[in-house]
Amino acid sequence: MTPATYDPEQLVRDVELARGRLGDEVADIDPHDVVLILQSLLRPLGTGRRYFLREIRPGVYVA
Amino acid sequence: MSPDEAFLIRLLTALDTVRLDYVVVGMAAAALQGAPVMTQDVDLLVRDTPLTRSRIDELAKHIGAGRPLPVSELSTTLTLIGGEVAVDVLFDRLPGGHSFEGIRARAVTIALGGHAALVASLDDVIASKEAIGRPKDLASLPILRDTQRIRSSLAREDRVREEGNP
Repeated sequence: MTPATYDPEQLVRDVELARGRLGDEVADIDPHDVVLILQSLLRPLGTGRRYFLREIRPGVYVA
Repeated sequence: MSPDEAFLIRLLTALDTVRLDYVVVGMAAAALQGAPVMTQDVDLLVRDTPLTRSRIDELAKHIGAGRPLPVSELSTTLTLIGGEVAVDVLFDRLPGGHSFEGIRARAVTIALGGHAALVASLDDVIASKEAIGRPKDLASLPILRDTQRIRSSLAREDRVREEGNP
């Protein structure tokens, strides 16, 4: 998928579907973490994700 | 495409250009496989040979870094700094004893920008973090383990579906 065709709504649908498939298997994981992990797992590479923290001065970072 | 993805493509281009035999390890490897984590550098595992050393020198030039700098007198790790993102180069094995050959055999291929990056498996990233044992490595373990569990659960369900729908 290229950035031009990336559809945030599709990602939402994919996350909802995956969450439904997981069911109770990961019930012990914080639900917000589950969504965080799923959106990260399911978001295609090259669609705007940040990976690196940059230190702009000691102890202060930006993505 | 984010600036980070653009940097990764430039790095992969440089790695291909200098023909370095590498595996991406550490948190960059985890992030490329979908773990919701961030890092300050890219770690590469390579074999320690004279040819590799010369190619690392070339890599530093290609990514706009200065000459490779030893991380410390007690470590063989080199760091390439001065470019957009620091790149660390580890030699021959990861903490925990996993060899380059073993890590590479279990690695996964990630496609990005027309390149194929060889990336250490999430299991190997977790094992190395457990072996290093520094506070910052231990702190990353819960989200890495949760990510691996969710990946495994989804993959297991995919297999069950495929077996049920041949």
